[in-house]
Amino acid sequence: MTTVMIQEARARVTVGSFSQMPDAAAATVPSEESAEAALEFLTEMSPDLRGAAILGPGGEVLAGTGEEPERWGEDAAALFAVADGAEGAPVEQVHVATEQGEVFAVRNAGLAAVTVTDRFALASLMLFDMRSTLRQLASPNSGGSEPSESRKGDG
Amino acid sequence: MPPKPHRVLLERVSVYADEAAAFMRRRRVARRPFARLYYPHGRSADHAQDSRSGAELFVAAGRLIEVAGKRQKG
Repeated sequence: MTTVMIQEARARVTVGSFSQMPDAAAATVPSEESAEAALEFLTEMSPDLRGAAILGPGGEVLAGTGEEPERWGEDAAALFAVADGAEGAPVEQVHVATEQGEVFAVRNAGLAAVTVTDRFALASLMLFDMRSTLRQLASPNSGGSEPSESRKGDG
Repeated sequence: MPPKPHRVLLERVSVYADEAAAFMRRRRVARRPFARLYYPHGRSADHAQDSRSGAELFVAAGRLIEVAGKRQKG
């Protein structure tokens, strides 16, 4: 019990310093073309994916699937707002599994990605792919190329 | 006469595959909707569907599922 309390206390103290790390903010805001290329690659990599979007630092939609890509922005913002408000702390990842499908949302390197998949998608792989896509997209020399830390070799 | 070695191997593989399939079936049957939030430093928290925050998360997720629409890939 004491160990748990110490870990929790340490986590509270270090939150501030970790949020100052360079990883918390995008080095460059990626272009819409590179975001679309990254989204296309993410879609190809994930057979369970129904739709997805990549959001910029201000919550603007850089790339999104479907007929109304701009809707991703407001609905993803609503999801993050609810998630942040749940415990009063900013979340890194969200996973909501419903009867109709699964929703994943990830914040990384100042960007955000939201995906909707069929039920029973492998959560850890999905979150890993989303994180690596965002990290690659935020790197200054990405130019929208395929993420290097990917599972491409697996298929 | 003892079975051929490759048959033993095949049998073993198919037993493992059967076990894996049964595990996945049980997982599908037993799995209920859930909302899980992940925080920095590896901490995560589950929110029940009947809690206030859980219900709000499900509503927000439902809107995103609506935006994604039906499956487009073949």
